[in-house]
Amino acid sequence: MKEKTQVADINRSLYDFRYEEDESSFLDSGITPDIISEISAEKGDPEWMTEFRLHSLEIFNKLKMPQWGPSIEGLDMNNIVTYIRPKARMKDDWNEVPDDIKETFEKLGIPQAERESLAGVGAQYDSELVYHNVRKEVAESGVVYTDLESAMHDERYAEMIRSHFMKLVPPTDHKFAALHGAVWSGGSFVYVPAGVKLEIPLQSYFRLNARGAGQFEHTLIIVEDNAYLHFIEGCSAPKYYEAGLHAGCVELYVGNNSTLRYSTIENWSKNMYNLNTKRATVGENAKVEWVSGSFGSHVSYLYPMSILNGRGARAEFTGITFAGEGQNLDTGAKIVHNAPDTSSYMNTRSISKSGGVSTFRSSVVINENAVGSKSAVSCESLMLDSISRSDTIPSMVVKTDKADVGHEARIGRISDEAVFYLMSRGLDENSAKALIVSGFAENVSKELPLEYAAEMNNLINIEMKGSIG
Amino acid sequence: MAKLNILPVPTFARLGVNFAEREVGASETESITVPDNTEQRLIQYRTSDSETRVRVEKNAALKLVRIFAGKQGCVSRLSVTLADNARIELIELYIGGDTVSEIVTELEGYKAGFKADIGYELGSENELDINLIADHHGKKSTSDITVNGVLRDKARKVFKGTIDFKNGAAGAKGSEKEDVVLIGGEVVNKTVPVILCAEEDVDGSHGATIGRIDEQHIYYMRSRGIPEDKIYELITRARLTRLIRKIGDEQAEKRVYGALGWSDDDV
Repeated sequence: MKEKTQVADINRSLYDFRYEEDESSFLDSGITPDIISEISAEKGDPEWMTEFRLHSLEIFNKLKMPQWGPSIEGLDMNNIVTYIRPKARMKDDWNEVPDDIKETFEKLGIPQAERESLAGVGAQYDSELVYHNVRKEVAESGVVYTDLESAMHDERYAEMIRSHFMKLVPPTDHKFAALHGAVWSGGSFVYVPAGVKLEIPLQSYFRLNARGAGQFEHTLIIVEDNAYLHFIEGCSAPKYYEAGLHAGCVELYVGNNSTLRYSTIENWSKNMYNLNTKRATVGENAKVEWVSGSFGSHVSYLYPMSILNGRGARAEFTGITFAGEGQNLDTGAKIVHNAPDTSSYMNTRSISKSGGVSTFRSSVVINENAVGSKSAVSCESLMLDSISRSDTIPSMVVKTDKADVGHEARIGRISDEAVFYLMSRGLDENSAKALIVSGFAENVSKELPLEYAAEMNNLINIEMKGSIG
Repeated sequence: MAKLNILPVPTFARLGVNFAEREVGASETESITVPDNTEQRLIQYRTSDSETRVRVEKNAALKLVRIFAGKQGCVSRLSVTLADNARIELIELYIGGDTVSEIVTELEGYKAGFKADIGYELGSENELDINLIADHHGKKSTSDITVNGVLRDKARKVFKGTIDFKNGAAGAKGSEKEDVVLIGGEVVNKTVPVILCAEEDVDGSHGATIGRIDEQHIYYMRSRGIPEDKIYELITRARLTRLIRKIGDEQAEKRVYGALGWSDDDV
């Protein structure tokens, strides 16, 4: 009898180490006005932010859980610790970071990446940034890359943050946006002045170490006109049996004629609920490029949204999702065409195996004023066994007759013809199938920065021992 | 108001595609069974609420033509069950009106086949909400769904097409394709082509094109001296004519042309 090919589950050993936490640093679990006030006091929020948090809590209590998507019944909000006091204040010298935290990020390769290929790095451990640094020449060009709390207390940026914070993703957007507004902590603030093109990327890495906790970082990026930025985000957590929650928020403002590329490799552990919200507004002739790899978490709801507000604005979304045993990953993208001559392109790949559920969900909305706009969506799904699921749920809403929208999707298994062809060229069956699976993911991996593409290849650790099917 | 045409897997609520809402009154109901090894053709004209249940037995075939050309609101529900090697060819035409139409086909048998060809021509303030579901249970079952339509003026249309490969439907194939031409700045088109898959050995695809007529087509026809407004009429009529000719019944075809307001010279 032929042995079935095993396309291995994601190898998480790199991420599954952890350090014991001093639980006296945890605020009480649950979400109450007292806890919100305590978080606000711990962080020394300005008055407007304290009010914002409490108002968001009111909204959170009024809104219902999502009525669509994967079940989140296993998430007990009363057992989630929303804030963990930091062991140390943020440093800009790596040597001053506490040893266990330093060791965590060194294992994840963050300092090495900073030395070799990045313009700046931020590292968040549980609720707070522990390290932030930016190259001198980058800082001298006027680029600001710091934690959001510091920026909020700096009179140069305070008003900018107040006028942009949760304006793209208001707390009324959905229940977890409201939760984020109430308990957010950590995250990055990036400001790229007009005319500055940052050739090498900035990176933030988010690590949730504590058991039964939530991470609620907020990333706010403002790219002024005629500028360029590539921002990379990485996330991971060790595995616990208790549910963890990630409800971060990313708000991107892309000025006229600018480009912002936002790359993410998300590799949360399989006890995590990843309910993240990402949104960009794009100005005239500007472009946002999302590159997204979703590999971890127990349940994900993740649909980066691009709002094309300027004439000629563009959006590109390239994503891959790998759902293995015990995972239900609901991912995709949303695009709103809200100005003339805008264009968008969505290109995704999904792989399901070992009982994993992968859902591609998208929406493209072409508003009445978006005359001359174009959109194309392409999604492909690969089923590696019959105990898994793969669903595609795209939606297109067109409100003008002067637009062109195209959509195509395919779902299936590894093609026997393709295997046969490769075998006729001298490959054995196992190598042919491995090559096809790798090729299926390549459209996305080639868009990732080199070191992340290598990480992705590690994540989809393919072991061939016979034939698939 | 009752919730109708419920999408099998709800999606983003703000898009307004998860269900339709209408007042529902008493509806005409009928059951049709096509016995083993027989073939039937049936033409229905729908102008009021109706519920139709169809069962096509082993090795049987049904060609079902349904024409919706009433001016009033109409709620229609068609459920089809297909046994081994059973086939249904469904042709549906929606001309004007305010229609909510649900078509649920259970492909239960081995090599059961479902072919749907749907066309619509909506103008003024017409509304159409179609919820088509093809549930593949049988091994090597096939579904092939083609939708072509034209929206003008302030017409609003939702097409939800779901191909659901159930676990065990090995060797099943399903495809759906919708082409929509929009004419008029106040139209609203919503298209939701869904594939649900719990079986590895299947082949599913969907595609959609929505918007203007291809610029190259317009360029070519203008180079032949045809004015632009006439080009739109010619191309949209050609699309519907292709479907109308599939009805295969001269009287029914004439009735459709009449409902469209086309004269013999137009056809």
